[in-house]
Amino acid sequence: MTAWQPPRACSVIGAAHQRRGQPCQDASLSVSLGSRSGTLQLMVVADGHGSAHYALSHRGSALACQVAQQAVQVALVHTALADHQGWQQLLQQELPATIQQRWLEAIKADWQQCSEADDPAFSPLSYGTTLGLVLLAPQWWGCTGLGDWDLVGVTHQGSAELLSEERDHSGSEATGSLCQPPEQQQWQQRARLEVGSTLRALVLSTDGVRKSCATDADYLRLCAGVVDLQNSDELQAGLAQITAEGSGDDVSLAIALRGPAQLRHARWGGVLLAGAALALGGWLWSRRETPLQAIARELCAQPEQIRSTLSQRRAQFRLLLAQPQAASQLRQRVAVDPLGALIATSQGEAVPGCPELTRELTWQWQRARAPQPAANGKMPAAAMPGSAPVNP
Amino acid sequence: MPFPNVRLSNRPLHFIYLCDCSGSMAAQGKMQALNQAIRQSLPGMAEVARQNPEARVLVRAVRFADQAAWHLAEPTPVQQLQWRDLEAGGITAMGDALNLVASALQSPPMEERALPPVLVLISDGQPTDDFDAGLANLMRQPWAQKAVRLAIAMGHDADLDVLQQFIGPEPMGRSKSPRRPLQASNATTLAQYIQWASTAVVGAASMPASRVAPAGASLPESGSNIPLPDLPPTLLDPSDDVGPLVW
Repeated sequence: MTAWQPPRACSVIGAAHQRRGQPCQDASLSVSLGSRSGTLQLMVVADGHGSAHYALSHRGSALACQVAQQAVQVALVHTALADHQGWQQLLQQELPATIQQRWLEAIKADWQQCSEADDPAFSPLSYGTTLGLVLLAPQWWGCTGLGDWDLVGVTHQGSAELLSEERDHSGSEATGSLCQPPEQQQWQQRARLEVGSTLRALVLSTDGVRKSCATDADYLRLCAGVVDLQNSDELQAGLAQITAEGSGDDVSLAIALRGPAQLRHARWGGVLLAGAALALGGWLWSRRETPLQAIARELCAQPEQIRSTLSQRRAQFRLLLAQPQAASQLRQRVAVDPLGALIATSQGEAVPGCPELTRELTWQWQRARAPQPAANGKMPAAAMPGSAPVNP
Repeated sequence: MPFPNVRLSNRPLHFIYLCDCSGSMAAQGKMQALNQAIRQSLPGMAEVARQNPEARVLVRAVRFADQAAWHLAEPTPVQQLQWRDLEAGGITAMGDALNLVASALQSPPMEERALPPVLVLISDGQPTDDFDAGLANLMRQPWAQKAVRLAIAMGHDADLDVLQQFIGPEPMGRSKSPRRPLQASNATTLAQYIQWASTAVVGAASMPASRVAPAGASLPESGSNIPLPDLPPTLLDPSDDVGPLVW
C-alpha cells in the first residue's frame, strides 16, 4: 500500500465576505506528525458560523484547528499507529472530549485577552465553528468532527464518492457546532476509521465548496480533479473562482493523496510543515536534543524547503513584529509548535542550524517588515496558539 | 493540470407572494394598495439582488379568491419582473393557496442547492376553505419548514390566528424581528412592510450565515433558519404613529 503524502490545506475568503469587509471565517491546517510508530498525517478544516451572533467565529475556527492538532499530537504519543481499536476509540470519544475542552479553554483565554470592558459577557456562541479532521496513517485513515463539512474519497480510477456528510441538517443553514453543549454534539455520527483502504485520495471541505457546485455530481467531479493539481497557487485561484461564481461563502479544501513523497515535494514546493512535526516526533522519543535543535536540524536537512516552510508562517512573523510580547508564549509552547518557537527565538537571538536557515529567517523578517500587499482573498496561516489569524 | 472545470452556480432564492384577492380586497383601495406596494418594491428588491450575486432571486406569486392560481407561475428573476395587477373578487381559498405553494416546494422542482425560500402571505380576511389541511400539506415539505414565512394582515378583519399559524409559534421574549403577523392599517404601512420583506429579508436570506442547530431539532424552527432583520423603527411598535387607520 502506497503511503499518504503530506496533505495540503487551503482556505480562501468568500466573495461575499470580502465584498462586505468581513473576515474569512474558515480555517484549515495540514501537518505531518512523527511518532515512534510512524508518521501520521493530519488535515483539519473549520468553518466559523459568521453573523452577528457569532462575531468571533473567525477566531473560533482558527483555534479549533490549533487545538485539534494539539490533541492529536498528544494522542500520538500514547497510542501506536498499529492500535486500530485505540484510534477508533480516540476518534469516537477521547479526541472529541479533549478538543472540546481545549477549545473552550482557548476561546476563554482569547476572550480574556481580546475583549474590552463594554463587550457583552463571554459566550462560546460568539466563537461558534464546525470542525472536521482526518487522520491518515500508513494502514488506515479516520475522521471525526461535527458540523456541515464533507469528506470525499477518490479512487485510483478517478471516481469520487461522498464518505461523510452531516445528515441531520441537510439543506438547511443549521449545523452542528463546537459551541453547543457537549450533550448536543454529535461527534460519533462522523467518527470513522477505515483499515486497508485502497482509496487514492481524500478531500475534506467546508460547506462553501459543495454549495458552490451546481449539483453534487459537480462537487464530486471537482474533488476527483482537484487532487491532481500541480500547483498550490492554482488551488487558491480555483477556490477563489468557486466562491465568486458560487455560494460566496468562505471555502476550505484539504487534500491527502497517496504517492511517493519525493514527487510530492517536487510538485508542491514545500507547502508543508512536515519537517516541523517530524522534528517534534523525534524529540518526543529521544529527547537527545532540544526541540529547537531538532526543528533546525530537520529544516536544514532540506534547505531548498526552508523558504516555503517559513513562508507558511508569514502571519506569525508579522504578529511578532506587532506584538513582541507574543514571543514568550510561543517559546513556552515549543513542544507543541517548535517551528513557532524557533521563529520567536530568532527575533532576538541566534538560533541553532545551518547558514541557509539563518539567511532565510533574516529574509522572512525583512519581508514581514515590508508593507503588506493589498488583500487577495487568501487566508493567512495561523499566527500563534491562542491567537486567530488576522484577515489580510 | 488545470483546476477542474465543473458547473458552479449561485443559489436560487425563491420569493413567493401569496396574495388574498377576495372581494373584500376591492374595498377601500386595498387591492390597489397591494399592487402598488409590490410594484414599488421591485427596484429595491432588484438592487438587493444585484448586491448579492451569490443568490439568484426568483419571484413568483399566487392569487387566491374562489380558488388559488398562479398569478406569476414562472420563477422570474426580479430584474425582469413586470408586475401585472391583481384583481379582487370571490371568497378566500387560502388553504388552496398553501396547497399550490406546497407543490412548488417539492424537490424537484426545488433545486438541491436552493437557499431557504421566502413566503409572504398577505390577507385581509378569514380563510373560507380548509386552511388547516393546506397548512399541514405545506409544512410536510422540508423547504416550507426551512422557509422564512411572513404574514401581513391588511385591516382589522384579517384573521391573525391563521396568519400566526402560517408563521409558526411566536417565540418567547421580545424581539425586534416579526414572529407575528405584521398589521397594515393603511397603504403606507403596507408599502413599508412589503418593502422590508423584499429588501431587508431578501438580503438576509441571500447570504445566510451558518447557525447552530437547535437542540433536538432535525429541522429548524419556523422562520428561525434565517435570522430576520429588524423592522424599521417606526414599525416596531404597533402603538407608534404609522398613519391613519383606514382599513
